[in-house]
Amino acid sequence: MSGDTMISVRGLAKRYGGVVALEDMNLRVERGTIHAVVGENGAGKSTLMKVLAGVVRPDSGAIELGGQTIALDGPNAARQHGIGMVYQELSLFPERSVLANLFVNREPVHNGLISKREMEARSKSLLQQLGLHVDVYAPVSRLSIGERQLVELARVLLEQPRLLILDEPNSALNQRETERLFTVLKGLREAGITMLYVSHRLEEVFSICDRVTITRNGRDVLTKDRAELTIPEVIEGMIGQQREALFPPALPPAPSAMRRRLTVKGLAGGRLSDISFTAQSGEIVGLAGLEGSGVSDLLDMLFGLRRARAGDVQFPDGSGLPRSATEAARRSVCLVPADRRRNGLMLDKSILFNISNIVVGARGWGSPWFSPKTALGRAMRQIEALRIKGQPYALANALSGGNQQKVVIGKWLEIGPQVFLLDDPTRGVDIGAKREIYGLIREMSSHGGIVLFSSTELPELIGLCDRILVIYQGRLAGEVSGADMNSQTVLHLTNTGEMPGAGRQRQKSHGGKA
Amino acid sequence: MSTTTSTPHLAGSAPPAVRRGFRIPEEIGVIVALVAMMAIIGFARPRFLNPINLFSLLGNTTFLGMLAIGMVFLLAIREIDLSVGWMFNFSAVFAALLMVAGIDPWLAAFTGVLFGAGLGLVNGLIAITLRLPAIIVTLGTYSMFQGLSLIANKGRAIVPSDQSSSFFSVISTKLYGVVPVAALVFIVLALAMHVVLHRTRFGYRVQAVGSNPEAAAHAGIPTAWVRLQTLVLMGAICGLSGVMYVGFRGAIDPNEGSDFVLVVIAAVIIGGTPLSGGHGTIIGAVIGMMIIQVISSGLIFFGIDATWSTFVTGAVTVLAVSLDRLIKYQRTRRLERRRETFHG
Repeated sequence: MSGDTMISVRGLAKRYGGVVALEDMNLRVERGTIHAVVGENGAGKSTLMKVLAGVVRPDSGAIELGGQTIALDGPNAARQHGIGMVYQELSLFPERSVLANLFVNREPVHNGLISKREMEARSKSLLQQLGLHVDVYAPVSRLSIGERQLVELARVLLEQPRLLILDEPNSALNQRETERLFTVLKGLREAGITMLYVSHRLEEVFSICDRVTITRNGRDVLTKDRAELTIPEVIEGMIGQQREALFPPALPPAPSAMRRRLTVKGLAGGRLSDISFTAQSGEIVGLAGLEGSGVSDLLDMLFGLRRARAGDVQFPDGSGLPRSATEAARRSVCLVPADRRRNGLMLDKSILFNISNIVVGARGWGSPWFSPKTALGRAMRQIEALRIKGQPYALANALSGGNQQKVVIGKWLEIGPQVFLLDDPTRGVDIGAKREIYGLIREMSSHGGIVLFSSTELPELIGLCDRILVIYQGRLAGEVSGADMNSQTVLHLTNTGEMPGAGRQRQKSHGGKA
Repeated sequence: MSTTTSTPHLAGSAPPAVRRGFRIPEEIGVIVALVAMMAIIGFARPRFLNPINLFSLLGNTTFLGMLAIGMVFLLAIREIDLSVGWMFNFSAVFAALLMVAGIDPWLAAFTGVLFGAGLGLVNGLIAITLRLPAIIVTLGTYSMFQGLSLIANKGRAIVPSDQSSSFFSVISTKLYGVVPVAALVFIVLALAMHVVLHRTRFGYRVQAVGSNPEAAAHAGIPTAWVRLQTLVLMGAICGLSGVMYVGFRGAIDPNEGSDFVLVVIAAVIIGGTPLSGGHGTIIGAVIGMMIIQVISSGLIFFGIDATWSTFVTGAVTVLAVSLDRLIKYQRTRRLERRRETFHG
């Protein structure tokens, strides 16, 4: 591809104190393309985007827009040059209406009053295009996360940018919303808007982008057309070493490991109805399902956070469902929650404090004293075993996502759980830490743990699990294992609730009847 | 504050030996403030530094200071108890009425402490069964306890007629003629509760629940049980403070305790316990209460009308909170800058 250059960046550098965020970053984006920037956490891609949005000022380097060097010394300057940025974290006002959010700070005014009619007129066609059919006078807090993300996008699009920067725009979207977003983005490309797209999810990068730039350690490593790249190549470029297998092989069972079994029969409650399955120690059972399908409900129920309406469950210790999370923890059942910052960690406390959560906090036996010395020993043990990059007294808030997740896992490992309920444990974690977490999951299973592993990322389910249970709208839609365990089958199941081919068979039988 | 190095060591390399190094105690700020205030007043009015005066100051701190100790646990678990003043009053009235009825004062006092714990239990049970914040529940029980106490004392001061029991003499004695026994009990309670907050399972749970209630629940910490325990502890401390007051003064006024709660919360905040929960300092709260006492008695030494002391206490609270904010703001900015460099 050789179109004309929309924006180019040369030799960008940015340091924070002694730490280098950008070393020598170069980027050339062609007009009318969707250009992906990928890299591990800390590779410099977020800083690069912030520089382009005028939020962060670089120490050196040049930015050219349409052949002219420009200075981006503030978000307003970037806006005037036609650069719009959709942030990863939502920056909406939840209590205000959709309209008010769309026109923050540039409300159209008639006779000194804000004209809602004009706001509605100006946003109507855009919202339709985005497929956002919501009451524009309703407060944003009533919208789903996916809809909010689209409102955020609409707000930026109303400024009619020439260059649109998207920082993980679909991190909160489900499959269907993501597809809709991609249709919108493709439409925008037809309309001549250039886009810079930052994402962790490589499959999606490959399905939408025209060109890919790989970043590592504050430099651009490689820029190529998408057609000339494969996902393994991209991963190799991102981690910058001989590619080890992302998914470690299954370990042989430890000789001392006990064979245990978890049996669930006809479990119902919340969104779920009639869920039956068994899981044994030594295997990793995957749980797949769209957001809202009930996978999280199932894990919460097994952990005693949610009441079951009906069903018969037998845990390896011979008892049924725990009545509370405290009982679950005391019976060696552990849950690694999906929302790590909200449910997994005490962010203003140290690693040491967090690691003691279960042993001191949940258990009711042992010493009634809290000994900082013992707690330090525990923290040191987990820091070493899980290779957590942080000192025992470092606050959980100061750690990166991967290290935070290791703290959550480490605090449970202290009690040697029998049942591991893992709810999307690699969400928002960089690839290096992901691989380590996969290794940990393998170890949990080989040491005799029963592992239920839910994930929103298909490749890791397929790469790690022995079999995958798919939940669709609260019921168990199917189970895949062995050769059937490929992304096509699982994707079809999660999105339709039916095995591929099942629809055709039914049609056939219908035809036979008629 | 900590001198711990935070350089992340590379994965795989042996972790360096962790030395926490010497940490400046967080209470140093309030201690310096207290000493400075006493020095200034003492410089201008040397009579102020007379040991007898200082110890009587400590004695005056006792009853409110004990409530402040309990309130630290409440703030650390991200709750506030508004009913402390009336739990104090009601327990004192209850114990004094028992003494009037001829029950042995020691036994009556012990029953009074249990009674206070029972009032706390009422607060706690309502709060955990209705899943309401304690501040809302105690807004109601504040008036309930006040009302019941008024019914019990019929609007008059309760004065146990026979004060010959050792209970009254022990509590109001001054060791060596200067150190009030009540103040000693206060100091011992403070040290014990400091240990409870930082070195026991209960204290750990209080901090954990206060730091992030949802994460605590997900870690299997019995959050409702910990809340209940904390509110009962608060009630028991109010009871202890109340019965000691009866022993110290020999009577309980119907209105004593009505203005306690705001002073208590102010002392805890001046001491450095944040309203956001997860953390608390008993020593700080004790010093905070002393600062308030020094201010009001210092005003008297300077001949300023005592009615000013309420205003000054409020002003000091605002000052303490703004200083706290300033320090936190700078700390988070430093932290954010570091985070940005890690993940930029």
